[in-house]
Amino acid sequence: MKRRTFVAATTSLIVAPWINRASAQQPVTINVMAYTGLFQDRYTAAVVEPFMRANPGIRVNYSPLPNSAAMIGQLRAQRAAPQVDVVILDVTVAKVGTDEGIFSRLDAAAIPEINELYPNARFPNVGGVAVTFDNLVMIYNTDAVKPPPTSLLDMATPGMRGRVAIPGLPDIQGMSLVMILDKLNGGPGVEGRFAKGIEAMAPIAPNVQTWEPRPDVYAPIINGQAAIGIGWNARAQVNADTSNGKLAALIPKEGTVFQINVINQVQGAPQAQAAQRFISYALSAPAQKAFTESMFYAPTNAKAQIAPSAIDRTAVKFLDRVVPVDWIAVAGVRDQIMDQWRRRVIPLSR
Amino acid sequence: MSAAATAQGPAQSPRGTTFTAATLLVPILLINAIGFMLPVANLAVISVSEIRSSGAMTGGWSIAKWTTVATDPFYWELLANTVRTSLIVTILTLIVSYPIALCLHRMNGAWKSILLVLVISPLLLSSVVRTYGWIAILSDRGLVNSALAALGAQEPFRLMFNLTGVMIGLTEILMPYMILALLAGFGRLDPRVEEAAATLGAPPYRVFWRVVLPLSLPGVALGSLLTFVLAISSFITPKLLGGGRVFLLATEVYDQAIVTLDWPLAATLSIIVLVVFGLALAVYTRILRQIG
Repeated sequence: MKRRTFVAATTSLIVAPWINRASAQQPVTINVMAYTGLFQDRYTAAVVEPFMRANPGIRVNYSPLPNSAAMIGQLRAQRAAPQVDVVILDVTVAKVGTDEGIFSRLDAAAIPEINELYPNARFPNVGGVAVTFDNLVMIYNTDAVKPPPTSLLDMATPGMRGRVAIPGLPDIQGMSLVMILDKLNGGPGVEGRFAKGIEAMAPIAPNVQTWEPRPDVYAPIINGQAAIGIGWNARAQVNADTSNGKLAALIPKEGTVFQINVINQVQGAPQAQAAQRFISYALSAPAQKAFTESMFYAPTNAKAQIAPSAIDRTAVKFLDRVVPVDWIAVAGVRDQIMDQWRRRVIPLSR
Repeated sequence: MSAAATAQGPAQSPRGTTFTAATLLVPILLINAIGFMLPVANLAVISVSEIRSSGAMTGGWSIAKWTTVATDPFYWELLANTVRTSLIVTILTLIVSYPIALCLHRMNGAWKSILLVLVISPLLLSSVVRTYGWIAILSDRGLVNSALAALGAQEPFRLMFNLTGVMIGLTEILMPYMILALLAGFGRLDPRVEEAAATLGAPPYRVFWRVVLPLSLPGVALGSLLTFVLAISSFITPKLLGGGRVFLLATEVYDQAIVTLDWPLAATLSIIVLVVFGLALAVYTRILRQIG
């Protein structure tokens, strides 16, 4: 026994320097799972690549998936042996991941940038913290809609018959529209299951061409298949630029709601320390500034100094028009809202 | 070794034959168990898993989703819609595919090969691409409505983002499967039987009705089964061409699994789809027996 211990100790003493040198030279790879498409392109350029330049010992492998539910599906499948270190997804799905023990709670002691975040970027029952704020906007084809719309009810005018594109429930864009209309009509919100909002969809529904615009809501409006609709601000702003102004976006006078993406560390992540460094960087003021100026998501770090040309294209200047929403509570009554949507809104559009 | 012994040598006892048959069945049984039975069993387990209103699966058990599906009229309507739509699509596909398949069956030479390739070639394209093609054709400013407008139509016809669009898209997408199944069934058609009927004075429509159609029924049954099963499980075309107005079992499974994260409900509905498949197969077997 003693001989074995001696051999093991001697071997480790001899081999250790080489192992250490090898591990020092070998970069650590972390897997970051987030949205595909435009988000992937812009996030890679604004955050991932600068992070790798600043941390040569860490390589980031971006794993793109189309939506938050697909991400949680993959994480559930990997629960026994997690392959992903960091995940960026919607706050309601982040709550599911936290409840199921898939995400660990981020600690401000290890990630001091958490202390720099706006208060509404932290959630009591969610392991991660907000990394981007987005908001609902009205989008329209500038050739087809003149003068520009100002109100959500502009989608209900007779001239818009068959020209409205709305991602309907269960998509949260449709849900956001119902919540804004509920508030406008004096509804109590979650307690009233947004019944007033469902009711207020009555004049808009007959004008709707599609409740499932594909590949997203922006494409049919840019190519003229539809004239007006609702979408998320960040993607709308980028599409406004790339379409040479064919598509424009604005916050309607009835208001807007925030959509929140949360950054999470996977419980049992293979590269926990490197993952925390990435999260720390993603929440830092420089990364937040870079991504906001690239894709117009509002920053969650209060210290981020955003160029006026970019901040003016986020909801930051219109905070008075933001309808407060508790997304976690909304997720709890989604089935009941969906039920009303199918029975009272869809039939009006047939 | 004698001749008699040599003749008896290869023959196996009934016990040996059973053993060989069982051994030969082992690979397919294994593949079936791993590729089908296990996932279905997993689906059954998920369907009775407990889920919180937020979508989190807690590890407990519950039959709440089965109760919801059994008691909510929406799901019964969904089932009826799905079966009705799939049946109509199957009938439409059969009506448009039968003449093409018959024509192909009767052709010879290079043209037959060229047309056969043309019939099969849509299968080389993803159904997503083909469905987008239909969007370009059926939209308000698409090929059909532009032609109708040129002929004086005041308003565009709504040919997509409704059930009409879904049926047009599914019919076209499923046609190659129906044509191939029909062509396989037409193998029983003997031209001499048709000639005999004609020689005996039967007009062409009677030859078709009394000879061609009955002989092609096995192909019709096979094609219909295949088309029905594919129609009932299609979700891309109904999603793209239904405009969120057409609720079918497959689209609901997609929404529950991918959008609302209600995996137990998605699993419950998936099992119902499997039961419908089983019923369709039973009907097909019964029809085949009657034809036979």
